[in-house]
This record gives sequence, C-alpha cells and structure tokens, in this order.
Amino acid sequence: MARRGSRVQVEEEDVELNMTPMLDVVFILLIFFIVTAVFVKEPGVEVVRPDIALLDDEKPTILVAVTDTDEIWINRDPYEITQVRRVLEQLLAENPRAEAMIQGDEGAPIGTVLDVQEMLMELEVPVTISGRNN
Amino acid sequence: MRKRRQRGGDQAEVNMTPMLDIVFILLIFFIVTATFLQEEGFDMTPPPPNDEPQNTEPNPVILVQIDAENRVFVNQRSTSEDRVLAAVQRIRAEAPQSAVLIEPNDEALHGTVSTIWDDMRVNGIPVSIQRATAEDS
Repeated sequence: MARRGSRVQVEEEDVELNMTPMLDVVFILLIFFIVTAVFVKEPGVEVVRPDIALLDDEKPTILVAVTDTDEIWINRDPYEITQVRRVLEQLLAENPRAEAMIQGDEGAPIGTVLDVQEMLMELEVPVTISGRNN
Repeated sequence: MRKRRQRGGDQAEVNMTPMLDIVFILLIFFIVTATFLQEEGFDMTPPPPNDEPQNTEPNPVILVQIDAENRVFVNQRSTSEDRVLAAVQRIRAEAPQSAVLIEPNDEALHGTVSTIWDDMRVNGIPVSIQRATAEDS
C-alpha cells in the first residue's frame, strides 16, 4: 500500500508540464490580435452595389452607405448631409490613418455620393466606391 | 542542493491555470472580432487639377451627360446607358486622343454613373467626372 502511494507521487512529478513556453506563445498571439484589431464600424444598411468589372481589394476602416432613398448611414445611424462632416471628423480623430469607402446603392443619387466623396477628399482621406463583381 | 530547490519551488509556485483561462478567452475574442474585412471597390475621384500650363492643345473632350431623369447624352446626342461605350468609341475612332468627361446631374443614379465609369476604364479610355453646374441642366 505504502509502496503504491509513493509510485503515484513519482508519476505526478514526471507528468507535470512546463507551461511557460506555451504561455509566451499565447501572449504573443494575443498581442498580435490586439494590435491588428481594427474595429470596422458597419453602416448598418444593405445596399445594392453597382456591377463593376475593374475592382481592387480595399481595406477600408470608415464605411459610409448611401441608400436609394438618399439616406446616409454611418455606424448604424442615419445622418443628414450637414451632419456627416462632424461624424467623419470624430471617426478620423479615433483613427487618423483611416481609409474610407462609400457604399452607394445603384439607385442612390450621384449628387449625394459625390458630396460625401468631396467631403472625404477635403479631409484628405483616401476614398473608394464599393462595387460588386459578377 | 536538489532538496532545497524543490522545496523553494513548491512554496513559490503560482497556479497559472486561471490566468491561462483568461488569456485564452481574450485570445479567442480578438481572433473572432478580427474581421479581415474584404471589400472590393474602385476609385471614382477626379484627377487633381493640373496647374502646369499645357504646351500642347488640350485633348478634345467627349461629354457624357446624365440628366435628372437618368437619360444619357453623348456630346448632346441622346443615347441609352448600354450604347454609351459604342458612341464614345465611334467618336474616338476619329479623335483617338479624346478623353471622356462624365457630367451627371445630382439626381442621376449612382449605378448608371459608375457603370459608365467602369465601361470606360475597362476599355482604357481616360475618364473624369465633374458634377453638372446649375446652368448646364
């Protein structure tokens, strides 16, 4: 009985793992994902994107949607064109190196899309227009 | 020597498991929220104004106008959205250096304008955009 107990103790000591290297790796992964985490704020509406053949991959961090009913949506809230500049400036203060993308509906008036585009260009933000490829 | 280290280790050993749990939960949270957002888009910004004096004759411009009722005009001649490319290519056959200027009314549809813009770029025709001024429309 006593012998058996001592054998179990020896086994336990042998089986114990050194967690430190794994912990190091996990911390490095954690820091990587925290640093690269870009919280993209979705506009909150679905638009029908125009059908475009020549498209580039973009990594926008500011998304502005213009719907066919001429509403401008940023970060799940509709805004008037006069309010958009203030909202964009707030978003830029959070992330000064942002890139913007306008998600214009096929039926959206081009005037609104160009208004938003001009505003973003005045704020010196690179801006692209969203499209879909069939 | 061995005995002392073993005892000291026992005394100082911290239980890492709860911290490891938290770190793993944080890791999973950041992996899940890391949206590698894949958006496809195109650039519709007009080229920056060129202040340099042009020593050559400015290239002739093919004017593509889109009015508030979404009708398309190529050099004042009425066309449909699909025939813009054909009309532009016909003009460019005579004047190969000419560039396209899209002049949409503010009420024109975004879909129409971007389709024309894309048609021009696919065919390598230089294209720019300028909103119609009030007196044009």
